[in-house]
Amino acid sequence: MSVEQKPHVLLVDDEQAITSNLAAYLNRSGFETSIAGDGEEAMHQVEQNPPDLIILDVLMPKMDGREVLRRLRQVDDWTPVILLTQVGEASERAMALEEGADDYLNKPFDPHELVARMRAVLRRARPGRPPLSAAWVLVSGDLRFDRHARRSYLQDQELNLTPKALVLLEYLMTHPDELLSRERLLDVVWGWEYPVGSRAVDTRIAELRRALGDDAGDPVYIETVPSLGYRFIFPVESAK
Amino acid sequence: MKRIWPLLLLPLGLGLLFKIIFGQSWIENSVIFLRIDLGTLSLLLGILISIVLFTMWGMLLWQDRQYEGEFLQYQTKTAEERRQFLQRLDHELKNPLTAIQAALVNLDEESNQTAIKSIKTQTLRLSRLVADLRKLAELETRLIEHSPVNLTEVLQEAVALVQEQPVSAERTLSLSLPQAPWPLPNVEGDEDLLLLALINLINNAVKFSQPGATVEVRAFEDAEMVIVEVADTGPGIPEEELPHVWQELYRGQGARGVQGSGLGLALVRAITDRHGGQVTIRSRVQQGTVVTLKLPVGEVTKL
Repeated sequence: MSVEQKPHVLLVDDEQAITSNLAAYLNRSGFETSIAGDGEEAMHQVEQNPPDLIILDVLMPKMDGREVLRRLRQVDDWTPVILLTQVGEASERAMALEEGADDYLNKPFDPHELVARMRAVLRRARPGRPPLSAAWVLVSGDLRFDRHARRSYLQDQELNLTPKALVLLEYLMTHPDELLSRERLLDVVWGWEYPVGSRAVDTRIAELRRALGDDAGDPVYIETVPSLGYRFIFPVESAK
Repeated sequence: MKRIWPLLLLPLGLGLLFKIIFGQSWIENSVIFLRIDLGTLSLLLGILISIVLFTMWGMLLWQDRQYEGEFLQYQTKTAEERRQFLQRLDHELKNPLTAIQAALVNLDEESNQTAIKSIKTQTLRLSRLVADLRKLAELETRLIEHSPVNLTEVLQEAVALVQEQPVSAERTLSLSLPQAPWPLPNVEGDEDLLLLALINLINNAVKFSQPGATVEVRAFEDAEMVIVEVADTGPGIPEEELPHVWQELYRGQGARGVQGSGLGLALVRAITDRHGGQVTIRSRVQQGTVVTLKLPVGEVTKL
């Protein structure tokens, strides 16, 4: 058994009440955490001591999170980044794709959720290569998703999906092998939790399964994790 | 106002008529300098009056449009200001709530007192409220789905879903849908949002009813509109509160002590607006409340 090295996380936020509390929790959760209070400091720290993962707030003094991300990606630095903002609107999603963040999380969030995502991002990360979230074309077996044209194909046959199912499929394919709770997917299809929100997710999943010919009992693509959520189980690669 | 223009041609027509009738009769010692016949005179007068009327009508219309424009501008400005306020609120609440949640997980592992549990619950509640307010503000601007929606199915589902909720215990929910001569036509829009609006209305009606009461949900078609009514025999809403019930976080006298986010009806209104529909409320204290939702059949007017 090799001694497992703790992943090094750089937490970037100008709100000290957030960084100090979160850092303590992250350290206890098996990470080694450093803190930067603004974008410039973050850039400096990335140069000095490259982290395995960066958690980036967007609105910060001196240099904002988006600018930090842009500069990193410009010099082909593909350190995984979780950006602390929401990606809801179609325009935001298109922008997010260009930005090249690995995942997004909107404030306020449950710290457990952040750790779950950090682990998933680290597991998915392909050293030195752009993440799936920044890929224009996603391929998973017979399934292909063209994010530029916003179309999806199964064995080169275009799938006839509602806009929401398409967004959901995109999210599932960019987060393969990750347990996605209904609440999280609800955020993706932009629904309300109150009073019976998860229904919106279940209908869209059913729509996707119908289109993909996926059997819920013996799934190829989308697996139901009883009382927890869903998981995209087929490996996904970026293409083109 | 715009349709009255043929009326303005009436003087002209009368003038023409006079010209035809009196075409050949000359006026002796004409009052005016020109020696013209009575017919031509009336025709000229008719033309003159028509021109004057048209000018006045045009000015009135123009003024009207000015007012309308100003009013619209004012409306968009207030809506914009409200949206910006909600955005600022969202932004200012986000960071403290994130910090509190992070601090709470640290505390959590050290002790597990009821006080901490309670803080946790309330923090989650606040976080959800912030998220809902944000979504509500977004609802006014973001693109929504435009697919055909079968309201019959959506209504059946909404009623079934509310029926499953504990709040429906000891209350009867009745749904009446037209079948003959034809069922409800489709409306166009976002099925999830419409379901959410209907659930909110039905849930409200049930929540404010006494055990044993019946909540009636009925739908019918009228003049290119699908009309849905949700009626209860609850305590009703005082007249002076009625105009405010659509505002975010508004809680009437009767709603105090009843659980809710204070966003339900604001959400219903926003969803209806985005579908090109209208929602109205009628209520009598001690007798009950009926909310009427009107949605255009088929194509939604795109904003």
